[in-house]
Amino acid sequence: MARYVYCFTDAGHSLPLADLRGVGAEGPALRAVHHEGLAAVISDAPEGLRPKRRDLVAHETVLETLIAAGPVVPMRFGTVAPDDDAVVAELTRGAGRYTELLTRLAGHVERNVKGAHDEDALLADLLAGNQELRARNEALRAAGGGSQSDQVAFGERMALAVEQRRTRDAAYLVAALRPLAMLDRHAPSVKDCFVNVSFLIPSGAQDDFDAVVAQLRTAMQGYAELRVSGALPPYSFVDAVEATV
Amino acid sequence: MTIMAQPSSSGGGGSAAGALYDIIELILDRGLVIDVFVRVSLVGIEVLTIDARVVVASIDTYLRFAERCGRLDLTGGRQPVGLPAIVGQITEDSAERKARGVLTGAGRAIADTIHDIVTTDGHGSN
Repeated sequence: MARYVYCFTDAGHSLPLADLRGVGAEGPALRAVHHEGLAAVISDAPEGLRPKRRDLVAHETVLETLIAAGPVVPMRFGTVAPDDDAVVAELTRGAGRYTELLTRLAGHVERNVKGAHDEDALLADLLAGNQELRARNEALRAAGGGSQSDQVAFGERMALAVEQRRTRDAAYLVAALRPLAMLDRHAPSVKDCFVNVSFLIPSGAQDDFDAVVAQLRTAMQGYAELRVSGALPPYSFVDAVEATV
Repeated sequence: MTIMAQPSSSGGGGSAAGALYDIIELILDRGLVIDVFVRVSLVGIEVLTIDARVVVASIDTYLRFAERCGRLDLTGGRQPVGLPAIVGQITEDSAERKARGVLTGAGRAIADTIHDIVTTDGHGSN
C-alpha cells in the first residue's frame, strides 16, 4: 500500500506520533520506518490525495510538532512512496546526505517573513520624496485627471518608483534580520508582498528575531505590514548540504 | 477551489491551521523532493505564487496608480518616512544581538559562503 511521507529524522528523535493524525479523510495513524541512524515518518496514503486545506493543515501540524522535538527534513506536500520498502531504500540510498543535512539543521527552525506595503501610504511617500513626480501628479489633478495616455505615462513612472521601492525595502528587511540567521532564502513571490523571505535561525535566537521584527514593525507602522510565521520545519533549507559544497 | 482565498481563521485553532494562509507556498513549493517518489498533482489549483513584477507592469496598474495618486491628500508638507536611517539602526541592533553570542563565527562563515551561491533575485533557488 502507498505511503505518504512527511519527513526524515534521525533515530534519536523522540517521534511523538501517538496524538498525531495524517493526511486524508480518515486521519490515518502515523508511524516511523527506520534504517540505521535514520527514520522516516509515514502514514498510509489516502486515495485521490489533493492539496485540500484539511490535508495541508495535517501535513503542517505533523511537521511543526516534530520540529519542536528535534531536527527534521520536511518533504514537500504530497510525497507518496509505493510501500515501506521504497522508503527504507531511499533512506539507505541517501543516508550520508540525510545524516549530514539533519546534523546541519539540528537546533534550527525556519521563520518566514512577508511584507506588504499599504499602497496609499507607499504612493504618498514616493510623491513626498520626489518633486518631479509630485509636480506631474499636481498637473494631472489640475487638468481634471488628464488624458488616458497622460495617466498611463504617469502611472508607469509611479510603477517604476514602486518597483524600486519594493526592491529597496526587501533589501532593508533582509539586511536587518540576516545577522540573526544562519541562512536566508527568498521564497516564491506572493501577491501584494514586496518580500517573502525565509530565515534559518537557531531555536535560541527566536526571541531576538522577534524583537528585531517588532522594531521593523514600529519603523514601518502605517507604511508596511509584516507577517511572520514559525517556528516552521526548514522547508526552504533542505538543500543546505548541496549549497555548501 | 482556491486555497488562498479561504480565511485563515476558520480552521482548527492550532497554530498550523491559523497560519496556513501565510505558509502555503512553502508547503507546496519547498521541502524535499525525492525523484523516485510520486508527488500529488497540483492541476486545478489556482497558481499560488506570482511574479510580482508582472503585476506591477501592466496598464491596469498604471491607471490605478495614477488614479490613486490623484486622490491622495498630500497637503500639510508631508515628509518621507525616512526608513533608511531607522532601518540602519535596527540592522545595527540586530548585529549587536548576534554579537552577544547567538551565532558562532564558524557558523556564520558557512552561511556567508552560501550567500555567495544562492541567488537573491527575489526567487531564490529551487
